[in-house]
Amino acid sequence: MSKLTTGSFSIEDLESVQITINNIVGAAKEVAKEAKEVKEELGPMGPTPFPSIATLRDWSFTLFDRYEPVYTPMCDQCCYCTFGPCNLEGNKRGACGIDMKGQAAREFFLRCLTGCACHSAHGRHLLDHIIDLFGEDMPINMGASNVIAPNIQLVTGRQPKTLGELKPIMEYVEEEVGQLLATVHAGQEAAAIDYDNKAMMAGYLDHVGMEVSDIAQVTALGFPKSDPEAPLVEVGMGTIDASKPVIIAIGHNVAGVTYIMDYMEDNGLTDKMEIGGLCCTAFDMTRYKREDRKAPYAKIVGTISKELKIVRSGIPDVIVLDEQCVRADLVEEGKKLKIPIIASNEKIMYGLPDRTNDDVDAIVKDLVSGTIPGCVMLDYEKLGELVPKVAQAMAPIREAEGLSAIPTDDEMKALVSKCAECGECALACPEELAIPAAIAAAKGEDYSALEELHDLCVGCRRCEQVCNKEIPVLSLIEKAAQKAIAEEKGFVRAGRGQVSDPEIRAEGLNLVMGTTPGVIAIIGCSNFPAGTKDVYNIAEEFLNRNYIVAVSGCSAMDIGMYKDADGKTLYERFPGRFERGNIFNTGSCVSNAHISATCHKVAGIFAGRNLSGNLAEIADYSLNRIGAVGLAWGAYSQKAAAIGTGCNIYGIPAIVGPHSGKYRRALIAKTYDDSKWKLYDSRNGSELAIPPSPEFLLTTAETWQEACVMLAKNCIRVSDNNMGRSIKLTHWLEISEKYLGVLPDDWWKFVRSEADLPLAKREMLLKMLESEHGWEIDWKKKKIISGPSIKFDVSSQPTNLKRLCKEA
Amino acid sequence: MVDTTKNTKLFTTYGVKTSKAISTEIAAKLISKAKRPLFVVGTGVLDPEVLDRAVKIAKAKNIPIAATGSSMIGFVDKGVNAKYINLHALGFYLTDPNWPGLDGNGNYDTIILLGHKKYYINQVLSATKNFSDVKAISIDKSYIQNATMSFGNLSRADHIAALDEVIDLL
Repeated sequence: MSKLTTGSFSIEDLESVQITINNIVGAAKEVAKEAKEVKEELGPMGPTPFPSIATLRDWSFTLFDRYEPVYTPMCDQCCYCTFGPCNLEGNKRGACGIDMKGQAAREFFLRCLTGCACHSAHGRHLLDHIIDLFGEDMPINMGASNVIAPNIQLVTGRQPKTLGELKPIMEYVEEEVGQLLATVHAGQEAAAIDYDNKAMMAGYLDHVGMEVSDIAQVTALGFPKSDPEAPLVEVGMGTIDASKPVIIAIGHNVAGVTYIMDYMEDNGLTDKMEIGGLCCTAFDMTRYKREDRKAPYAKIVGTISKELKIVRSGIPDVIVLDEQCVRADLVEEGKKLKIPIIASNEKIMYGLPDRTNDDVDAIVKDLVSGTIPGCVMLDYEKLGELVPKVAQAMAPIREAEGLSAIPTDDEMKALVSKCAECGECALACPEELAIPAAIAAAKGEDYSALEELHDLCVGCRRCEQVCNKEIPVLSLIEKAAQKAIAEEKGFVRAGRGQVSDPEIRAEGLNLVMGTTPGVIAIIGCSNFPAGTKDVYNIAEEFLNRNYIVAVSGCSAMDIGMYKDADGKTLYERFPGRFERGNIFNTGSCVSNAHISATCHKVAGIFAGRNLSGNLAEIADYSLNRIGAVGLAWGAYSQKAAAIGTGCNIYGIPAIVGPHSGKYRRALIAKTYDDSKWKLYDSRNGSELAIPPSPEFLLTTAETWQEACVMLAKNCIRVSDNNMGRSIKLTHWLEISEKYLGVLPDDWWKFVRSEADLPLAKREMLLKMLESEHGWEIDWKKKKIISGPSIKFDVSSQPTNLKRLCKEA
Repeated sequence: MVDTTKNTKLFTTYGVKTSKAISTEIAAKLISKAKRPLFVVGTGVLDPEVLDRAVKIAKAKNIPIAATGSSMIGFVDKGVNAKYINLHALGFYLTDPNWPGLDGNGNYDTIILLGHKKYYINQVLSATKNFSDVKAISIDKSYIQNATMSFGNLSRADHIAALDEVIDLL
C-alpha cells in the first residue's frame, strides 16, 4: 500500500481481513512538517482563527458595554411557535420564557443571518460556477496588492492564493451559518445580549462570504482590479434606447448574464440591442470584461425602486432574473404587457415551468406565442442564446401592439377623475406621500405634484393595493413624470474592486492622524426617506470637504443620477482613488467587503498589525484610530443589516435612514456616562479618558442634513493629532451651523488644547470655553491653561483590550 | 372643536396595544399637568404653519424642546429653549432613569410629539412603550399607535386648527 499521510481510504468488499497499523510516527511527522510549512507561509497567527459562536463573544461584549443594544420591537407579539402568539408588551415573557428584548434581539439576529446566508450562498454559486469554468488552480488576482483577502485573513487566518483555496473558507461560513440558524429555534438561545453576539458573528461571516464572491468574479470575469480609472457607465431610466430590442436583467448574481453578453458579442448584437440591469447584476454587467477600461455597452437602469417603473414603461422585451432584490410580482406585471420572464437561478423560480432541458427555439416559440409567460432556464449556454432571441422576436410584436402600462392622455384624465380622495393610499404609502392631493391637482390638469412624487416614490405599489377605485397610482405618477424619466441619464464609475496596498501606504498616516478627515462610506439600498438626491447631497458635501467617499451598490447608482451646473456627475468631478477628495466605487453589493477590508488593510499594512485570525485587535484599532463611518441611507434588506453589523464588530460605526429603525436593534452609547469613555494605554495599562466619539455603532438619522452632522462628528477618533482634530472640528462645527443653525452643544468635550481648535473660530471658541465652561485661558499667548478633561499624548496606544497592555 | 379622536385607522399594526385617541382638551390638560415635560419635535415642524404653533406651545408652558432631525434650524432666535438631539438616541435615553436630561436635571415624565414621520416615531416609541414609564402624547397629524395617547389621523387643515385649540387651552 502506498504511503498514507493524511485523509481517509476505504477498502470495499473485503471480509475477514485483519488490518494492522504498524507505525504512524512517520505520517504524523509529515503532517507536522506540512503544518509548519503552512504556518510559516501564513506568518504569525492571531488568537481567533476560524472562530465559532463563543470565540469572539468577549469582544462583542466589550463593544456592548459602551454601545448598548437598543431594542425597538416591530411588534408586541411573538408568533414563532405554537405556544403563542404571546403578548410580550412591557418586556413580559412569553410561553417559552423569552422576553421582549430577547425576541427583538432574535428577530434582529435573524435578519443579519438571512443577509449573511444570501451573500454567502451567492458566493457559493459563483465560486462553484467559476471553478467549473477555470479550475481550482486559477490564481486569485485582485490587482496590485499582496493583502488580497483581508476579511478572510482576519476571520480565518488563511491567505488564499487560488480559487480552490476559497473552498474551505466557504465551507467554514456555511457550517457556521447552520450553527447560528439552529439557535433561532424555540427553546434555544434566549438572552438578548447573546443574540446580539450572534448577530455580530453573522455580520463578520457576511463580509467573508461577500469577499469570496467578489474575489471569484473579479479574478475570473475580467472585472477592473483595484482600478481607480475604471470606466464610466451610463445610469438612469432614460439611458435605454427603446427603439431597439431591450433585455433587462434584475438581481445580484451576474453568472448567467455573462453568457447573454457573450452571445451578443459573438453575434454582433451589442449595437443592435440594448441590455440594461437593475440592482447589482447591473453593476457586475458593466464590470464584465472591462479591466481594459473600455466603456461598457451594458447600462444601469437603477435600483429595486425602479423595477416596477421600468416594467410599466413597457420598455423591456424580455426580463431575466437571477437572485436577490427581485420583486415578487414581476411575472404578473410582465404578463400584462407580454414581457417574458426568464428565471436563471434556483433561488427564484416563481412557479414558472422549468425548460432547462428543452430546445432553445422551441422555448422561444412558446414564449413568443404566449403559451408560457416565462420559464426557468438553468443551463447558461442556452440562457445566453435564449434571452437575446426572445428579445429580438418580441420587440416587433410588442412595438406593433404599443404595449405599455402608462396611460394615454385621455386615460389619464379618466383615471384621475375616478379618485374619491378617500386617503387610503396616503395611509398605505410607506413614504407618507401626499398622493390624494397630487391626484386632486391632476383633476385640474396640473400634473406637477404627481410628477414630484416620482423621485420620492419607492415603487412599492401599496397605494394600488388599497385603492377602492382600482386606480393604478404608480402608472399615473409615471405618466406625469415622463419628461423627467426621459432625462434620467447620468454616469457612475464601474466598480473598481479593492483598495490597493500602495494606496493604503500613501493614505494610512493621514487617516490615522486625522489630517484626512475621514472616510464616508455610502452604501446600500434605495428605501430613502425623501428621494434619491439625499445620497448625492451627502456625497457632495463631504467630497467638497476633502473626505474620502466610498460607495457601492444602489447608493452608488443614485449618486450618479445628478449633475452640477456644468452637467457633470460627482464621478466626473472627483477622481476614484483611495485619497482625500476622491470618490471610489468598489462595485456591487458583495463589493462592500472591500470597504471594510480597507480598514483592515490600514491596520495591517500601514500600522503593521497582524491580520491573521486577529479580529478583535484589528477591530479595536479601527474603532480607535480610523475615522470611517458607514451610511446605508436607504437600507431595506436583510443583507444591509448584515453588512452594517459586520462593520460594527469590525469597529466601524454605521448610520442608517429613518426606515431602518425597523431592523429593531441599534447600538448606542450613553454620551453622558463618563465611565464608558475610557480606554487603556497599552504602553502601561493606565486608563485614558476619551471623547464621546463614535457615539454609536448602529443608529438612525431622520434627514440627510442630520446625517451629515452625525457623520462629521463621528469621524473624530482618539488618535487624531492636533491638526487632524482641528480639521475634523472645523467640518463638524461648520456642518452643524449650516444644517442645524447652531454650534453643537458638546464640541468642547473634544478639545485637548488650543491647537485642536479650528483656526477660523479659535478666538471665539476660546471665549466660549472661558465663559461657558470655566476654562482658564492665557489671553496673551492664547493658550488654554486648564479645563480639558482629555489629554493628547502622541505616543499613547489606546486600546479596549487589556490583554494588549504591556503589564497584562 | 376639531374631533381629533374619530379616525384611528392603521395600515399595519405594531401589536396588541394601541394609543388612546384624545381630544384637544385632554391633550392640553396632559401637557399642562406634566411635571417634567419635554417637547420632542421632528423635522416636519419646518412647515412654517406648524413651526409657528410649536413655538407657541413651547412658550405657553415654558416647555424645553428636543429638536430632532434637522428641526433645530427652525428654533434659532425664536426665544425657546431648544436643543438638538438624535431621535433614536433620545428614545434610548428616555428609558434610562439615570439620564440627566437635556438640562442636567434628570429624565422626563412626559414627552409631547410633533412633526415626525409616523413610521420613524412609532419605531422609536416602541422602546419607550415597552421599556419605560414615560408618557408619550402625540399631537401630530397622523395617529401614532405606539404613543400613550394620540390625535387620530387628521387633514392638514384640521391638524392646524387642533393645534390652535391646544394653544388656546394651555
